[in-house]
Amino acid sequence: MHIMEGFLPHPWWEIWFALSLPVVAYGVYRMNLIVKERRETLPLLAVSGAFIFVLSSLKMPSVTGSCSHPTGTGMGAILFGPWITSVLSMIVLIYQALFLAHGGLTTLGANTFSMGIAGPLVGYLVYKASMKSGLNLYIAVFLAATLADLATYLVTSLQLALAFPAATGGVLASFEAFLAIFAITQAPLAVVEGAVTALMFKYFIQLRGDVLVKLNVASAGVIQKLKEASL
Amino acid sequence: MHDLLDDYAQSNALRDTNTRLKLALGLGAIIFCVSSVSPVAPIFVAVSMGLITIMIAKIPARFYSKLLLIPISFAFFSTVVVAFMHGTGNPLFSVDVFGFDLAIREDGANLALLLISRTIGGMCSLFFIALTTPMIEIFSVLKTLHIPDSVIELSMMIYRYIFVFLDQAAMIHSAQVMRLGDSGLKNSLNAFAMLSSVLFLRSWEQGERLIVAMDARCYSGKLDLTNQAAKAEPRAILAAAAYLAAIAAIAVLTRNIQML
Repeated sequence: MHIMEGFLPHPWWEIWFALSLPVVAYGVYRMNLIVKERRETLPLLAVSGAFIFVLSSLKMPSVTGSCSHPTGTGMGAILFGPWITSVLSMIVLIYQALFLAHGGLTTLGANTFSMGIAGPLVGYLVYKASMKSGLNLYIAVFLAATLADLATYLVTSLQLALAFPAATGGVLASFEAFLAIFAITQAPLAVVEGAVTALMFKYFIQLRGDVLVKLNVASAGVIQKLKEASL
Repeated sequence: MHDLLDDYAQSNALRDTNTRLKLALGLGAIIFCVSSVSPVAPIFVAVSMGLITIMIAKIPARFYSKLLLIPISFAFFSTVVVAFMHGTGNPLFSVDVFGFDLAIREDGANLALLLISRTIGGMCSLFFIALTTPMIEIFSVLKTLHIPDSVIELSMMIYRYIFVFLDQAAMIHSAQVMRLGDSGLKNSLNAFAMLSSVLFLRSWEQGERLIVAMDARCYSGKLDLTNQAAKAEPRAILAAAAYLAAIAAIAVLTRNIQML
């Protein structure tokens, strides 16, 4: 969920930039380390970034009838981990602002924080935790993508509430109001994106399980087992 | 499918104006919009940026007005919350919902109007940058700003592949629609998942081929860019500076004006 250009007032857009830039800088540092070691990662990251952009420009079938876009953040986090996803997200968010008029430049910091940092971090942790506890890979992917979306939406509501606290009840009341009004579109969207991401992994495993093994998403044994089960 | 602002960035009448100047103009207007405390300056920015984009950069007015509809839904939902939750003063409008007294009060409504005007002013300035400045020119400006090479490199390759994948996605989508892949929610979910996974795998394979192709051409981790942008004319710099100064003056002079 993008915050539009001009919506966040003066101290807040700078604050969110200040919070996201160090994380993105750390992501760049991590990325540089990997690229130095294996030069072929950069083109692969690039096509993945382009993929995230294209995914987010497609209309997803949605329950409420409103036009909704997948964010791809959960998937990015599962495939590349949260740090590199933050770099990809920031670049993709700039393109979304400039090519699709989603989001904006002053709100880039806030949007990067909600969609490129908070969401992926939650998705990544959920995925790792569920895989460790021995859940089925598809369920783990579904949970990770859904919760990543929900986390994004919680953080966006919080960002708006902090910038515009209610007269009575302050930030909390305003937070609840933003949550309630965006729940109409965002809650079904999160579930749909979770389901779509889980289905995508089904096709990944059928067609190119080796890519997932290479990215350390799951061990070769797990992929092999799932592949046999789906035949 | 292809409805990207980038198409216009390549062909508008301000294509060859200096990039830094265009960026400074757009970003400056955005920052004045966000900082203004009355809706007058953002409305001025929205109107003038709209006119500049349509009259000087020669972007079709019909396309431009469609673009303005994009931020409306977000702006509407968020400002409704702000209008109801914020403010003291005289209620302008109130309804009784399940025993809750929901009222829009004076300064809540003022803040909502301010936010809408800031959003529209900001979006118009953003559209100015997006519609007049090709991405490649922005890359060469970023290079001079000492953004890490790997980030620029990554952005340039992402930019290149966005268009390749958009075409592929459009083709896959029409193939699916022709076979009734979009009938019913279950089918359309499945079709969407199939589209995105195939797209990812194709892009991955494309990436693997890209490595080979670039290695074959002695890729050293750095693509060179030539800065083709013309030098800024003194006249243009003066006009941009005067425009930004006018916005600042309006923002300062009208800081006490409220709409209601």
